[in-house]
Amino acid sequence: MKKVFLLSLVLHSALLTSRLAAQNPVIRDQFTADPTARVFDGRLYLYPSHDIPVPEGARPNWFSMADYHVFSSEDLTTWQDHGVIVTQNAVPWGKPDAYSMWAPDCVRKNGRYYFYFPNAPKEGRGFAIGVAIADSPTGPFTCEPEPIRGVSGIDPCVLVDDDGSAYIYWSGMGIRGGKLKDNMLELDGELQEVQMPRREGAPEMPPMKVGGQQMEGLPDGFKEGPFAFKRGDWYYLTFPWVRGDTSKGDNPTETLAYAMSKSPLGPWTFKGIIMAEHENRCWTNHHSLVEYKGQWYLFYHHNAFSPGDDKRRSVCIDKVAFNADGTIQEVTPTRRGVGICPATMRLEVDRYGAAGKGVTTALNDTVNTFLGHHATLPHKGSWLTFADVDFSGLSDAYVMLRVKADENTELAIREKNAKGKVIARFKVTVKSEVTRPGAPAPFRRDQSGQWLTLTLPLDYAPKGIADIAVTCEDKAVSVDWIQFRNRPLYFTPVAKGAAPSQPDESGYIRRWRLMEPIKQDIRSNVIFTDSWLRKTFADELAKLPQRKAKWYTLESAGYNMKLFRFAEKYGSQLYGNLFWCETYIDCAEDIANVRLAAGSNGASMWWLNGEEVLLLEGDRRMVADDGVSSRLTLKKGRNTLRCAVINGPGLSDVCAHFIDEKGQPITNFQIQ
Amino acid sequence: MKRYILSTLFFLPLSFFLSRAAAQVGAPYIHDPSTIAECDGKYYTFGTGGGGLISEDGWSWHSGAERPGGGAAPDVLKIGDRYLVIYGATGGGLGGGHNGRILTMWNRSLDPKSPDFAYTTAVEVASSDGMEDCDAIDPCLLLDPTTGRLWTTYGTYFGAIRLIELDPQTGFRVAGNVEQDVAIDCEASDLIYRDGWYYLLGTHGTCCDGVNSTYNIVVGRSRSVTGPYLDNVGRDMLQGGGRMVITAGDRVCGPGHFGRTVIDDGVEVMSCHFEADFDRSGRSVLGIRPLIWRDGWPEAGERFKGGTFEIESARRGYSLELAVDFVRIQQERERFWDMDVTKPLKQISNQQLSDVVATWPQGEIAVRCSDYMMRPHQHWTITPVPEAGGFLGGPYCKITIAGTDRALAATANLELTAVPVFTGAPEQLWRIEQLTDGNFRLLPKAIPGREGINTRYVLYSAADSTPTLAEWDFATDNSKWHLRTPF
Repeated sequence: MKKVFLLSLVLHSALLTSRLAAQNPVIRDQFTADPTARVFDGRLYLYPSHDIPVPEGARPNWFSMADYHVFSSEDLTTWQDHGVIVTQNAVPWGKPDAYSMWAPDCVRKNGRYYFYFPNAPKEGRGFAIGVAIADSPTGPFTCEPEPIRGVSGIDPCVLVDDDGSAYIYWSGMGIRGGKLKDNMLELDGELQEVQMPRREGAPEMPPMKVGGQQMEGLPDGFKEGPFAFKRGDWYYLTFPWVRGDTSKGDNPTETLAYAMSKSPLGPWTFKGIIMAEHENRCWTNHHSLVEYKGQWYLFYHHNAFSPGDDKRRSVCIDKVAFNADGTIQEVTPTRRGVGICPATMRLEVDRYGAAGKGVTTALNDTVNTFLGHHATLPHKGSWLTFADVDFSGLSDAYVMLRVKADENTELAIREKNAKGKVIARFKVTVKSEVTRPGAPAPFRRDQSGQWLTLTLPLDYAPKGIADIAVTCEDKAVSVDWIQFRNRPLYFTPVAKGAAPSQPDESGYIRRWRLMEPIKQDIRSNVIFTDSWLRKTFADELAKLPQRKAKWYTLESAGYNMKLFRFAEKYGSQLYGNLFWCETYIDCAEDIANVRLAAGSNGASMWWLNGEEVLLLEGDRRMVADDGVSSRLTLKKGRNTLRCAVINGPGLSDVCAHFIDEKGQPITNFQIQ
Repeated sequence: MKRYILSTLFFLPLSFFLSRAAAQVGAPYIHDPSTIAECDGKYYTFGTGGGGLISEDGWSWHSGAERPGGGAAPDVLKIGDRYLVIYGATGGGLGGGHNGRILTMWNRSLDPKSPDFAYTTAVEVASSDGMEDCDAIDPCLLLDPTTGRLWTTYGTYFGAIRLIELDPQTGFRVAGNVEQDVAIDCEASDLIYRDGWYYLLGTHGTCCDGVNSTYNIVVGRSRSVTGPYLDNVGRDMLQGGGRMVITAGDRVCGPGHFGRTVIDDGVEVMSCHFEADFDRSGRSVLGIRPLIWRDGWPEAGERFKGGTFEIESARRGYSLELAVDFVRIQQERERFWDMDVTKPLKQISNQQLSDVVATWPQGEIAVRCSDYMMRPHQHWTITPVPEAGGFLGGPYCKITIAGTDRALAATANLELTAVPVFTGAPEQLWRIEQLTDGNFRLLPKAIPGREGINTRYVLYSAADSTPTLAEWDFATDNSKWHLRTPF
């Protein structure tokens, strides 16, 4: 991953590299093009070429590729970048500054991995095709000293047939193919002398030795990037193809087309289009087809992260299907791409599957395009959908939303479609005015047009895998992403009749009976003086028997009971609460000379068997053993420990254990 | 920023923290100062809200430093020839939210007037979502000298202090790095490394309540940067542990936002702000204090205010004195074998300056060290000289024989003398610094005949009796002195 940084340092944000996500494009922190996808031992490996901005001195506005990365995935959703495997400086026969490392391929034979790649040779012009070999699909790869003799061109593809025979296809004077020898490094058969067509004004070149044969049966028009594969007993030769006629004023770009044959080197029967020209006139396309876990996928590229420059491209994936006769159904490129997205990953909903009228997408940052896109829902009722979100990993979840608006508005996340059940409904408040008593003027905040990250608990959590929709419920709103998150486990409810709890190894009491929080009008913690606390606690203690409040028995996940989270779940306000906490301690015999050691956020008062034993006054933070009682006796049988904690702002919590003369925890009791 | 801010500071524009920083000595108004950074001979610290302070000498501070992005509690660290600035944007309960963001950016200079001064685009390295037990503000930077790895802790009283790793080349988050909780309920945390230990400092208490702010800085330490950070009684900072580094005192209260600056081997200072300066209308001010290391724990030393002292060598314990005749104190002697114990006891007066001054030469007098005998030629009054400027953390002082204007001075040949009258010449001005072991070192501001401000030569024991000026060496007691209050 470090290498990624070095190469595209200026262009991408630090966080993106760890978030190679599912949506199209799939690699979101660097440019990738010409994808060849291969499956080895149940894992999918992606070998793309690696576009970079044109370095100084190289041909401007042209393709520029200096190395290859390999990526892999188990689920087509999360991708791992294994880093650089071959660079132009390390190809023995290659020109070290040609930036011409175009479309590659990688195949396995007899347990070894053969990586085929085009590159400009040190001598002469044009392209040659070399091989690098490794014992693992991610390398390290070692380059062969010479390119493959008789292969002059670009875009190698190798098909290893069921009988172990290997065939190589490439683009050079049309699309050619030939059988490889068993060593995978040489063409089988004699090379032919071919006179290269002479460019006007160029000197006469000696004839070239070329192997393989022209692939017959393909349509006229420019073709490159062959990708051959076998499915059943059909061989497929697929290729970018420029249809249309420039002489008739057409200005065509590449489609993806294909031909079929019953034999690996043809002759071929042309069958049509797999993918039409890119709508935005990105001139190239380049692809591979692969079956993974029972589904066929088309890997291709588009310039989503480089809208003004179609030579900086990004790999996309969509599903592809075959008809009964073996022909391929045309694929419409989607933003959503493939794969089931865990709800806890960043769902780039601007990569939607479908959207209502008027919904648009745009880059978040036109300079750092790897910051991705956002979608704008222009009016009430606008919607988009995002398919295949896996909610099964959610327990106690909330949702985060990155959003931008010019006016206060509302937005809903729904299950299934624009009319579906509401998962969460966000008030997007970008302009606010708060008047506070004693303040000279209202506090105004204007965040219109700024990206905000909002969070909200869920109204409803879908089960299993579901589609989601985002709907605009008021004025125009833009959405970048949505992400669901699980809360940590703070505590678990204890069922009636449950077995007693034990103090933990540090003696902390984790089981507490908590009364629903009593609201207090407290704005700051500075009022917690001794006398104020004594009066407040005494008044509340007197009222306690009459209070018809609900009590909850909870087992804390940590040494401290998170009262703030208790208030969030069971109270009516987050800040400004008084909590009554009780616990029952059963001792088999008297335990003398112990102290109650407690900490609380904020102030607290403690009673053992009705006697006040400790006061933690003032603005307290959670500090274990912040204060201790005088020496006490836990009596044989049941003891009742009670405390009241009061807090203004801050994350209220409380902890308590009993310690002996040496400060060691007391653990020989049970907690009911 | 802290809980109290919700009710009090909610209405204040962020510029509140900076608008009163005047361009003069003693107006160093700031909140959450970043670790002091040096750039082209000037000192810089950045605060909450944007902007910050500049000082030519480390003593007189004025506004003028520039940091875009606003937000809370930045830190700055020089890595190679660039400065990495880290800060928290939003969050901190300002406006009620806890969705904070930590951002980093680079600059080749901290001087807004430099042609190299240009911040790179800030990059987010961490965030909090507003629901989780963390608020991503108040970041710090530690470049681990043992590994070259770059670490940040951030967070506030809203949940945990978290540790993340950054790439020191880029300032970006290291790919795949997962944040880790290392403490709770702190603010303005800072990480430092010293002698095999990592120290996590955090601010406890309440801020932003003027003279009633209870802010204080505590520390825990660990053998590993990832913790656990334990205090001096073994309590984890994840359970609120912490040993006090600095609290109220000396007419200021509410220290917060620790920063450590190493000046020299054995010479360190800590920076912080004090929530309220009782002598400056209770305003929040920059504080710089000596940093003492006691049994492996950092503690703030006292601000050096001057006074009358015995200057005692750490070498032998002899006392710095004028090389003048020893004048005996007259005493009625009693023979110890023939003592009348029923006789009333008498007090014997200290020798007074007036008893001896006439016996001293008029011109320059040499200086030496000898047994301390509580005599006037051994008592030195150290007085800050405000118009003489200062150094990082203190003003230059004159050192005169108590009751006189006779001043200790450096000579061109790196020796010492006592001139009859203090003239304000730079060789008569002294930089007095408390060392990490609690002792002091004394440097003349200048050596006659040598260019520039002296940062090399210190008062030094060439022999038990012979003080001189020599290069600073923390490893020897010859470089160190005790300042003892006489009588």
